[in-house]
Amino acid sequence: MAAVVQSPDLRAAWGELHEFSWRPVRIRWWAALGFLAAVLGMRAAGAVFPAWPFVLAVLFLLAGNIVIYRTFARRKDLRPRSARELHQLVSWQAAVDGIALWAVTYWSGGVISPLAAGFLLPVLFVSLLLPARTAYAYCGIVLSALGLTALAELWGWLPHQSVYFNGAELVPAAHPLRTLTFLGVLGTVALGTAALAGSATCTFRRQVQDLDRLRETEAVFSRRLQSIFSILETIGSVRDLHRVLETAVAEVAGVMQVKGASVKLLSDDCKFLRYEAAFGLPDTMIQEKVVEVERSPLNKRIIEGEPFVTGQVTAREMFQFGETLSAARIQSVLFVPLNLQGRVIGILGAYCEKPDRFGVEEVNFFRLAAGLVAVALENARAYEAVTTMSHERTWFMMKVAHNLRAPLAGMLSILEVVRDGYLGPVNDDQNEYLRRLDRRARTMLALVNELMALSRNRQRREAEVAATEPAMLARRVQRTFQDKAAEKRITFQVNLPPDLPEVRGRLETVEQLLENLVSNAIKYTPAEGSVEVRFARANGTVRIEVSDTGIGIPAADRPKLFTEFFRAENAKAMDEIGTGLGLAIVKEIVDQLGGRIFMESEEGVGTIFVAHLPIAAAPTG
Amino acid sequence: MESKGLILVVDDDPDIVATSRIILEGNGYEVHTASNGKEALSLLSRVKPDLMLLDVMMASDTEGFDLAFKLKEDPEFKDLPIIMLTAFLEKVRTEGAGPFEYILGEQWPVEWLFEKPLDTKKLLARIEAIFKAKKIVPSG
Repeated sequence: MAAVVQSPDLRAAWGELHEFSWRPVRIRWWAALGFLAAVLGMRAAGAVFPAWPFVLAVLFLLAGNIVIYRTFARRKDLRPRSARELHQLVSWQAAVDGIALWAVTYWSGGVISPLAAGFLLPVLFVSLLLPARTAYAYCGIVLSALGLTALAELWGWLPHQSVYFNGAELVPAAHPLRTLTFLGVLGTVALGTAALAGSATCTFRRQVQDLDRLRETEAVFSRRLQSIFSILETIGSVRDLHRVLETAVAEVAGVMQVKGASVKLLSDDCKFLRYEAAFGLPDTMIQEKVVEVERSPLNKRIIEGEPFVTGQVTAREMFQFGETLSAARIQSVLFVPLNLQGRVIGILGAYCEKPDRFGVEEVNFFRLAAGLVAVALENARAYEAVTTMSHERTWFMMKVAHNLRAPLAGMLSILEVVRDGYLGPVNDDQNEYLRRLDRRARTMLALVNELMALSRNRQRREAEVAATEPAMLARRVQRTFQDKAAEKRITFQVNLPPDLPEVRGRLETVEQLLENLVSNAIKYTPAEGSVEVRFARANGTVRIEVSDTGIGIPAADRPKLFTEFFRAENAKAMDEIGTGLGLAIVKEIVDQLGGRIFMESEEGVGTIFVAHLPIAAAPTG
Repeated sequence: MESKGLILVVDDDPDIVATSRIILEGNGYEVHTASNGKEALSLLSRVKPDLMLLDVMMASDTEGFDLAFKLKEDPEFKDLPIIMLTAFLEKVRTEGAGPFEYILGEQWPVEWLFEKPLDTKKLLARIEAIFKAKKIVPSG
């Protein structure tokens, strides 16, 4: 029984039995008072007997109950915590009850008094809660006490006590044989009760134990499941290689309830093992970071695919780091290979301070966990590779942009020198063709710029956590375009109400969006027209409206407006440089920021673009 | 014709160097040229320009900036006005020092930054303005 009680996962069924041990304490208050009332009732009804021994017995019972209550009820939870405490609680109660019962039995006429039957109650109580031996011993004590009392009365050492009712003695002094018979029957019933109750409880206890074991297995299972889930979750959410491994080893150590866990990874040439992550292990161990595989037969065997378990690190095969382990008071270790698609990429290890800690089940679970860790690892590595590739691509695009722009810049410079007459007069025809050349080169330059912008936006898709102040945006767009608008004699206005919230996205990104819209508006608005930018707050977004009195967009061209390289027919007809990428970039940015964009246009009247950009999330502490 | 000032053009693109020379000389400036930072430094030991036009990306991505910083630390040249030119403003904008306007703050060792292809009129106006502010007396 002790094993069950001390097992860490003591369960409800057993707990109830323990609670039961407390119940008589509560009943005793009322039982004592009830008995007192009965005694007084008897006296009132005319029975003649000395009342004080009964009152004393009741007081004793109450006093005993108070002592028990105060001794054991120190905590809120009245249940005994340990087998020892249960034993004490039940024994004390049985002792107090026994003494009180003996007193009332003796004073109500001796051992053959009907009150002697009361002894069956504590006998039952003891045999239900305490081991059979204790119950039998208690029966023996009760019977001996009664027997000795009977003998004492017989030999005149104790006076016979009587209760009279209407002149008759309720329990007359008995013949020794009758007393013996009575004690025999009482003893048999008491022992029978003890045996029956004891065996029933025994069965019950066994079942509780089974249930307990089952529950413990279930708890272990559920913990493992949870840990597997947690590792899976980490695989999904964490991309940093080191953090994936740190989380995995912590999880593994937690679920296996061991002191530490580690991951060693194999170098690409399979010659070295390096500690990549560890949990709960001394630093000195991790600091010897690299293990040469050839010089470690133990690690070599694991890499060849064989798990390694030992319950005694002092064993011979552990010579490699036995000392470090014993310094950390580690006794059991378990190593399994980290397998990925049939290839060993490292070793997962568990370390425990208890000897012989790892059994077949642990090894099996550990191999499963190792499989998950390997997947997590591969996942993180793949992500790292993608990130590196993306950085390399950005760098490459930058280089391409520069190398495409530099010759164009040179070409345009030369054209300018020639056209401006630095190298001698240029006639009108020559100038016209040089102008065309200049325009084509500038178109190409714009294309390069916008292609770069598009590719950059696609790469920047990751979280746009930054926020942009509309006021700043308005100021910058005003400054960027006021000269250009003035040159074309276009009225350019930026309208900004006060207290607008910040919008999601980096300033440069949002600015590029707005610049493209405004630049289009100015480009396609004839002289003396007007271009207006209005900011407003609308429904959790900031509404930015760019309207012009330009050439408008033909209805047929509108559906394709946001596609790359598309230019509306009337726009192409104008002598303006355009690449057909501006609005594609706008759309790209709006989508990326989680906003929306609409347009309305009438040919020859003007165009309105309305972008709704989400308000930036409030900064959280 | 009397020179309005001596300008050193540093760029590894010979076309840019040549056209800059034509434009600047055509507008009355005396021009010296160098095609990299090292050449510029050795030239600086012989001639004392009133202003420098400096390309950002030459042999290395930041050669121009490196030279500019070096000159700002040199007591002899720390007051030499520098106008930087780059065909790669995007890079400076997104990776260097943030938006354009901050580039011209105190910590930057240059007077102005122009994107290539150059707008000649703006460049000439800027040079005039710098010379005026510095009260550079035409040499020669």
